[in-house]
Amino acid sequence: MIEVKNISKVYKIAKKGKHGIFSREYEHRRAVDDISFSINEGEIVGFIGPNGAGKSTTIKMLSGILHPDIGSICVNGYIPYKQRKKYVANIGVVFGQKSQLNWDLPLIESFELIRYIYKIPKKKYEKNLAKFIDLLDMREFINQPVRQLSLGQKMRGDIVAALLHSPKIVFFDEPTIGLDVVAKEKIREFIKYLNRTENITMIFTTHDMQDIEKVCDRLIIIDKGHKIYDGTVSEIKRKYAARKIIEAEMADDSAADLAKFGNNVKITDISEHGKICKRFEFDSERCPVNEVMGSIFSQYDVNDISIKEPEIDGIIRDIYEGELQL
Amino acid sequence: MDELKVMAKALKMSFHARMQYKADSIVATLAVFFRESTGIIVIYLTLMKFDTLGDWNINELLFLYSILFLTYSAVVVLFADLRDFSRMIREGRFDRLMLTPRGLLIQLISNNADVIAAFGHGGLGVLLFIVSASRVGITWNFTTTIYYISAIIGGILIQGGMFVFFSSLSFYFVETNSLRDIFYWQMRRFAGYPISIFGKFFQTIMIYVVPFAFVNYFPAQYLLRKSDLAQYPELYIYVAPLVGVVLYTAAYLFWRISVKNYKSTGN
Repeated sequence: MIEVKNISKVYKIAKKGKHGIFSREYEHRRAVDDISFSINEGEIVGFIGPNGAGKSTTIKMLSGILHPDIGSICVNGYIPYKQRKKYVANIGVVFGQKSQLNWDLPLIESFELIRYIYKIPKKKYEKNLAKFIDLLDMREFINQPVRQLSLGQKMRGDIVAALLHSPKIVFFDEPTIGLDVVAKEKIREFIKYLNRTENITMIFTTHDMQDIEKVCDRLIIIDKGHKIYDGTVSEIKRKYAARKIIEAEMADDSAADLAKFGNNVKITDISEHGKICKRFEFDSERCPVNEVMGSIFSQYDVNDISIKEPEIDGIIRDIYEGELQL
Repeated sequence: MDELKVMAKALKMSFHARMQYKADSIVATLAVFFRESTGIIVIYLTLMKFDTLGDWNINELLFLYSILFLTYSAVVVLFADLRDFSRMIREGRFDRLMLTPRGLLIQLISNNADVIAAFGHGGLGVLLFIVSASRVGITWNFTTTIYYISAIIGGILIQGGMFVFFSSLSFYFVETNSLRDIFYWQMRRFAGYPISIFGKFFQTIMIYVVPFAFVNYFPAQYLLRKSDLAQYPELYIYVAPLVGVVLYTAAYLFWRISVKNYKSTGN
């Protein structure tokens, strides 16, 4: 369905302070550097990466807004940036931060305009609309001006706007940004339902790991323009299951010596509210849990202790910060 | 045809959206109307003292001005998004258009209309036309009416073409507003007067560089035949309606080339 081969995108950035009036020195920055992947029909793939990693640029190339400088993209039989009009008739794009709805008019008016723009047959339009209104509980506010809607309601409106023409592929760019837990959950369920029932291929960028865990089967992590991980969500968790975190509350702040583990145990001070707490992070394959525990008990005066499994959030954070190598 | 349907629907939406704030819209329209009237009042007061400007009397000057307002009124209905194009790029709204299965320029033209400016300028244009058209000695027959309508369309295309041209520059430079300010907005202020009252250099600019002379001066001259026309090739009054077609086509081609340069913005 989606075939991406060795794409790169280079931005030319004028160097600060190094230009005359007519000449400038440029610096070339690779926003996307040699990324390849392929996605099958019906997959939901999560795209994550820190701000500025090249996620948006990749999505923009996939959706035909930008063309790659090197490499090729083929989606659904089209080359997005070359056959723009034909290609975009079969995709939907939801930008969490950029609404396509008319701010002043009722939601339904924006949907009507989309019907004209995409030339959706009236029957199909009405069927789709009725289905989405039902699934997303939109009946109460469909006739309300968009400016009066809550963020969650607006987001649902934007999602429907991107789906009315029954696209085969849908890109969601941070669709849950700024939403409360309930609204997020509703959107996730809807996306999953749609993927299951209509076999729509979906690409999903987010900063919320819950989104990824609950919705996506597959995860692609991008950092500094490179693809650093491509695989299932459960695999990444299994891979780091050996990573353990022990948090302990101490009776006093005595210095202790865990030197025998060298750099393998990372100690951070997480004291708060007058309680003295420390976090010990380590790889249980290199330092067995019982040994580390034993050392902690013998070295410190421990009041309370807990062992934590790493959460996906923490794993991703460590990957971004460069502490975990994939 | 289908494009026109979308355009009609989008125009209706622009109007409805604006009419959500009726009082504000009325006040804003009146504000535009009076702001633009100040230029007319200055001319009127000057002519009370001097009777003519060049060879032109007050009614002829008002007729000349009315064409400028009438064409601009249509320009802001069609080209509002292109007039504010660099802002559109900056806010990343242009991305959305690229994701819609329609031509980019046609979307820009049909999407938004500046309803307020359209009524403000249009109202003033109609008023000036009514006041002046019957007092300037034009015989309104089939030929003159067809010419007048073609000239109005040509004038819309000239200004639309300029906006398309300046918008295309946004694909090469981040900020193009000051260029547009000098070449469109500043020049437009002079277009209310017969160009023959200006110096040669300035006339050349108004005819060949920023061809406002073909928006209102030459079309008005076809109908009025004032003596200062002798300074210019007579051909100009006949080709005036065509200048718009040529200029717009050229701007369109430049747009087609430039849009390939689009780089989007980060978010």
